[in-house]
Amino acid sequence: MKIGKMVTDAAPASGGKSKLINEKGLFSQLTDRTSESRGKLLIYGSALLMIVAVTAITLFLSIQGLRAFVVDHLNFWTFITGTEWFPDRAENPSFGAFPFIFGSMAVTFLAALIATPIAIGTAIFMAEIAKKWGAKVMQPVIEILVGIPSVVYGLIGLSIVVPFMRQHFGGSGFNLITGAIVVGIMILPTVASIAADSIRAVPDSLRQASYAIGATKWQTIWRVVIPAAGSSLLTAIILGMSRAFGEALAVQMVIGNARNIPASILDPSATLTTIITLSMGHTTTGSVLNDALWSLGLILLLISYVFIVIIRFLGRRGEKR
Amino acid sequence: MIQMEKNIVSFTNNTVTKELPIQINVENVNIFYGDNHAVKDVNLPIHEKSITALIGPSGCGKSTFIRTINRMNDLIPSARCEGMIGYKDVNILNPKVDVVQLRKEIGMVFQQPNPFPKSISENIQLPLRFAGVRNKKMLKETTEDCLKQVGLWDEVKDRLDRSATSLSGGQQQRLCIARALALKPNVILLDEPTSALDPVSSAKIEELLLELKNSYTIIIVTHNMQQAARIADYTAFFYQGELIEFGKTKTLFTNPEKKSTSDYISGRFG
Repeated sequence: MKIGKMVTDAAPASGGKSKLINEKGLFSQLTDRTSESRGKLLIYGSALLMIVAVTAITLFLSIQGLRAFVVDHLNFWTFITGTEWFPDRAENPSFGAFPFIFGSMAVTFLAALIATPIAIGTAIFMAEIAKKWGAKVMQPVIEILVGIPSVVYGLIGLSIVVPFMRQHFGGSGFNLITGAIVVGIMILPTVASIAADSIRAVPDSLRQASYAIGATKWQTIWRVVIPAAGSSLLTAIILGMSRAFGEALAVQMVIGNARNIPASILDPSATLTTIITLSMGHTTTGSVLNDALWSLGLILLLISYVFIVIIRFLGRRGEKR
Repeated sequence: MIQMEKNIVSFTNNTVTKELPIQINVENVNIFYGDNHAVKDVNLPIHEKSITALIGPSGCGKSTFIRTINRMNDLIPSARCEGMIGYKDVNILNPKVDVVQLRKEIGMVFQQPNPFPKSISENIQLPLRFAGVRNKKMLKETTEDCLKQVGLWDEVKDRLDRSATSLSGGQQQRLCIARALALKPNVILLDEPTSALDPVSSAKIEELLLELKNSYTIIIVTHNMQQAARIADYTAFFYQGELIEFGKTKTLFTNPEKKSTSDYISGRFG
């Protein structure tokens, strides 16, 4: 109030309006090129749209995913722990999703296990050893690899990895480890690229400190740079895992799509995503199977959120240090 | 600074009376960054168990020079050194020198405190581990010993497992000095160790250096002429890549031979 009064007092005696007081209407605020409201509206609008979209997806999936339990009276506990998935059996159909939850987890962790050492090694090479070449040649190539559609990775898996596994380990070649290898290769560039960025973000002063106390290059990388990049490296791995977890197509093409829990990594298997893409087209809306597939989708979404929470948590811990 | 009268400068701590033996002998050293001739034909003796200060305006080559003594300039691909830095009968600049061993004997402390983002004790133990020391008792003893030498032990003995980055700037810098002491080097190089610190922390470091010179040879780059006057036994004045004048600190500050030296120390430029 006080400021407003002062400005009014300062207004020219001739009766003209002071430029300092904004008396424009809403319309002129939006049409005026120098107005701040236009930019504000655009940005706030985009943010709002994004929030609405995420909330809507979550809500929609929740409603659809809970139908199986609320409308069709499936038992939630037997749904996530049951090991028999025979939804189309005429007598006593059973909906046990555990093999797919297990399959998704197994593919994700095995893929991370395969991808992590290679990705971190590549990142060290790019960011520490061949810096120029890494930044000018490898980084762009890896970024292109990130953008390759997953179906291409699936095709490569189908034509190279599956025959290889068939020849060397017997069986059909369509199995859990084949799926993990294909997804592992697929997430490799993602993990390597983010890991290289986090290694580059380690301040040079730490490397100098390390060299100045008589460390070799390898000791510097292994004992100083990698630990300093620690939590962001973990973030890179978990981001890769969340990508592996959500991948459907490439996995579906090579995993063998069996509905039971694999006894070994050389057995065919299935994941939450593959079973959804395989079955969704054959169901009618409102049928029990359709609802059950939505429930699988809901589980998928919830686990993805868990990955995001972990990434956030690690990121915050990294900032604190 | 501009009116730095001779009587402001105190030389209370410069106790060198007799000439100490020479530990490092610098002869005709030239350093280049690509085409840039950064250090020109420097000749300089570094005396054992004394403090030698390198002073001069920014960009005069003093930091470049000190980084050559433990071959930290090797990390800069375009850097090239010629001449001789004699130490223990070898030329440090010889490409065959094992730089890893060299840096164990000639430690370094930097302008910005750069502790590792690890615990306080790990910061001191890491150089030992790099050198292959596994003995837990020895690691512990060295940690305590080094922290005591820099006067940090009483401040941190209850939180040795806490992250070193939780310490204050001055404590971090003293930790970095303790880290440099862990391998019992012969020489310690300090590149403007107090320029990022507050006056109280700086004073503590200066006091510490005066104590350490009884056991170590110390070379310090500093912007602060009073600091050089307070702690250094010998002072070298660099200007535009050349060593203009070198001598006992007292002589250099009270009775400089060259005009540019007296101009610089009296604050007429720089």
